Amino acid sequence: MATEAADRIAARQRVEARRRQLEAPTTVRDDSEDEMIVSFPEFIFKEFIAAVAMTVFLVVVSIFLQAPLLGQANPGVTPNPSKAPWYFLGLQELLSRFPPLMAGVAFPTFVIVLMILVPFLDRNPSRRPSERKVAIILFALYMAIVVALVIIGTFFRGHEFIWDWGWVLGNPQTCGGRAC
Amino acid sequence: MKVIRGAVDEMWSIIGQMTSSVFRHGLPLTDKIAARTALTNFVLHIHPVRVRRSWIRMSYTLCLGGLTFFLFIVLTVTGLYLMFYYVPSINHAYQDMRDLQFVVTFGGLIRNMHRWAAHAMVITVWLHMARVFLTGAYKKPREFNWGIGTVLLLITLLLSFTGYLLPWDQLSIWAVTVGTNMAKYAPIAGPYTRYLMLGGHAVGDATLLRFYVMHVVGLPLVGFLLMVVHFWRVRKDGFSGGL
Repeated sequence: MATEAADRIAARQRVEARRRQLEAPTTVRDDSEDEMIVSFPEFIFKEFIAAVAMTVFLVVVSIFLQAPLLGQANPGVTPNPSKAPWYFLGLQELLSRFPPLMAGVAFPTFVIVLMILVPFLDRNPSRRPSERKVAIILFALYMAIVVALVIIGTFFRGHEFIWDWGWVLGNPQTCGGRAC
Repeated sequence: MKVIRGAVDEMWSIIGQMTSSVFRHGLPLTDKIAARTALTNFVLHIHPVRVRRSWIRMSYTLCLGGLTFFLFIVLTVTGLYLMFYYVPSINHAYQDMRDLQFVVTFGGLIRNMHRWAAHAMVITVWLHMARVFLTGAYKKPREFNWGIGTVLLLITLLLSFTGYLLPWDQLSIWAVTVGTNMAKYAPIAGPYTRYLMLGGHAVGDATLLRFYVMHVVGLPLVGFLLMVVHFWRVRKDGFSGGL
């Protein structure tokens, strides 16, 4: 009898502890660092430094790296391979593998809608990485697939968009048989 | 002598009034004036007056959202410079690009900056999204702002895509041909969407004008308005930092 009551009390305590855990802020704050400060100048200074660093980076890159400018547009001469801008190459890669209705329309629409709905689908209230392993693994997988598709489309798709190890390195794009 | 000194004093006070009229606050020598600076300065007023140190830790935000916005500003400024020399017509566009590259003062540098900043913005906006996801910052009460952010990501891609056509070289025309061919596959609306984008059945003069107008007016305007809402929600929902 006594052990049964003890078990019940222990169970209630567990439920209570779990409830408290759920209601409590899930984040552990480092209070020594987390004081209130006036955002000017420290915060604004940080932004300023980031902006200056980015400006310097852009100017230096732009001095040494020329933006591409090929020959004038000619609707009569199709380059081989014809490629979309790099951020759409994942999509082009999908189009080369799956039926166009699926790869070109259904899939991107699905991904965009899914992305907007992410906050409503993810019911886990915690923001701790250790408590949202599934979400993080799924997202990492998604990003890895996107990056892999873009890399394949950029570097490993040569003439007629056929697989070519090191297309960019060895085989130039041709326009009507001649180099562009 | 006295008259001259009086006149000089008067001049100094006028100059003092001129400079102090620019800012609605004094030098931020104390916390109170610093707070008032953030509150009353037009450029700074989108920032909260007070923040927790953990919110603005660089290891948390990596400055990615701010850098994306900064790149948008860089693109606006460099884009304006390019607009002075660029005519969106198939008879002029390519020659204008050659001129920008070889004739116009700083034309090549500005065009390079515009190009690389555009690529950089696509990357930073993706990384910003990744950061927000990995820190779980989209959770209540920021669900709506995540949605706006997703639309802003799409607008960034569309801005970059419309800009891709403008040099009117072999790279642009065929990249846009491939890109717009994807739209064709949508059921029923597909061919119409493509026709609407191209202003015809193939990439041509009408396409160049449409892409130009969307690139310099339409998309930046929508993007800017959404950014205003995005930043406003960041302020109102509170910074997500302090993980």
